Amino acid sequence: MIVPGWQPTVAQVRAGAGGAVLAVAGALLRRPDAVVLAVPMLVIAVWGVLRRPTDAPDVADAIDHSTLREGEATTWRVEVRTADELDGVGVVLWAPPYAELDPPWGELVATHRANADGTSSAVAAIAMRTTRWGRRSVGPARVVASSPWGAFRWTSANTGSRLITTLPLPAVFDATAPATHAAGLVGLDRSVRPGDGSEFASIRPFQAGDRLRRIHWPRSLRSGALHVTSTWADHDRHVVLVVDACNDIGDSDGIDGRASSLDTTVRAAGALAEHHLRRGDRVALVVLGARGIVRVPAAAGTRHLRRVLDSLAAIEPATSIRDDARHQLGLTGGSLVMMLSPMVSDVPLQRAISLAGRGIAVVVVDTLPDGITDADPDDPFRALAWRIRLLERSRELRAVGAAGVPVVAWRGPGSLDQVLRDLARRRSTPHVSRR
Amino acid sequence: MSRRRSITLGGASRDGLTSLGLVATLGRLSSHQRLLRLAIVAGPSLTLAATMAARGSFQPIALLVIGVLAIGCAISPDTHVGLLVVLLLALNWVQTVDDETTPWLLVAAAGLVVLHASMAAATVAPPAARWDRRMSRRWSARVAVVMAATAAAWSIAVGLADADLRGSAPVLVVALLATAWLTWWAGRRSVG
Repeated sequence: MIVPGWQPTVAQVRAGAGGAVLAVAGALLRRPDAVVLAVPMLVIAVWGVLRRPTDAPDVADAIDHSTLREGEATTWRVEVRTADELDGVGVVLWAPPYAELDPPWGELVATHRANADGTSSAVAAIAMRTTRWGRRSVGPARVVASSPWGAFRWTSANTGSRLITTLPLPAVFDATAPATHAAGLVGLDRSVRPGDGSEFASIRPFQAGDRLRRIHWPRSLRSGALHVTSTWADHDRHVVLVVDACNDIGDSDGIDGRASSLDTTVRAAGALAEHHLRRGDRVALVVLGARGIVRVPAAAGTRHLRRVLDSLAAIEPATSIRDDARHQLGLTGGSLVMMLSPMVSDVPLQRAISLAGRGIAVVVVDTLPDGITDADPDDPFRALAWRIRLLERSRELRAVGAAGVPVVAWRGPGSLDQVLRDLARRRSTPHVSRR
Repeated sequence: MSRRRSITLGGASRDGLTSLGLVATLGRLSSHQRLLRLAIVAGPSLTLAATMAARGSFQPIALLVIGVLAIGCAISPDTHVGLLVVLLLALNWVQTVDDETTPWLLVAAAGLVVLHASMAAATVAPPAARWDRRMSRRWSARVAVVMAATAAAWSIAVGLADADLRGSAPVLVVALLATAWLTWWAGRRSVG
């Protein structure tokens, strides 16, 4: 329990009581040496009492940045201001998981400095590097001010917590595969429809409505009839990222160490969103996690990238809620759906098959981490259970592949090129879809 | 990676600060805190050594008892074990040393000052905190002032020892009243 105000410490009781007892004993026993032993204790006790602070210090804390990327650092600061002289201000900051503190353990002592207005203040700063995406609270912190000789102590009520958002650091990703079919008429990719774009299509006879600057004069002069240069329309892609956050498999050591399945999923989703948004595509996000289904509508632009990363940072792995495949994702044809999942349950696979059956281009990105079948000294049957589950899983993935849904493991740059190329080729051929 | 930490100043659990264990607290002591804990053990040892030197004999039982208690003080400096150590050391001195003005008295008093100052300093900062030079200088200067006052008191005691003063009841009553008033005044200013 925190007692408000300046309270005498054990040290002050020791100095006062010890000094008084020795002095009285020396007087009663007629032993001046006992009085000499009492003198330093009495001096310290009187010194402490004379310098006892009276005002309650003002404590103000702040954090420099509330939004960070993985691996970035910020500083938490606290200032203790009082009209009295302080000896030292001890600060202990309660740090969240996946935070590295400097000084270590978030514990430091700051000395006071005199201000021009007659007050004194002590400023403490603790640097904090966050190593994993997510939203976490920094603090509370405990601030303890001490008077000279540590004779009196003032303990603050806990400071408030500061919420910081750590955005996932997107993995490096690039793709050179052509776009699949899409209905849009703006963007960077070549549409299958002729239109006003930049990609050459053919030279054809002039039609009413053609622009005069499109007339191809050499061909027109040779043939005696007006011909124009036609182009393919440009279009953007509508990419839907479906993030399966129902499970988090494997250990996570933050940005510097091992990545769990959810780490890989979130960072891969960030990389895909960044790649497509920088190309001018429209990107939507659907998260299946602890909060049910969270949707970020499709949009383009760098501001939308921040929105997507914010939603990814807010992901909490579901522990009780399971994706039972009854929720509709609200996807329509013309979208390229990228489903990121560790695929440890068959529900996301059923979803993928269901979407493919409706004529939606689906790519399943497998984010199961390596090494989950490594021997666990604490549980010898764990590796065996995982090996059995992975055998079942490989059979399920083969069934998904047979249904026309490509499954590819996340390997960073170029990992989706082949499947996207195959998908584009397949989309250009006639096919039957279920409505 | 996720780690929970003890938030304890000085290694004890006062003022509502929670402690998750002694080993965890001691394991993260900063180098300055380790020096202070060493001084906490060294202070009583110095006083005891001065007592044995003044008496001219070795005291194994006192060494054992004081040693154990001093280690307890070093582990938990924010407890009243320190007061017990001070009183035991003083009692041992009064019981065993006959020369009331021996220079060893100054060494014994210095040991008590070192014990008290290092225990108080260890509770000012959290276990893992590093001290800066200003704090070290400030505490060293204070200890020097107190030692100077102790030396002055010893000089007075030495001077009065030669004066062959006789016991006086009124002087004793005045001294006791002065001590009582000082205690009352200190207590009144300390609380509230």
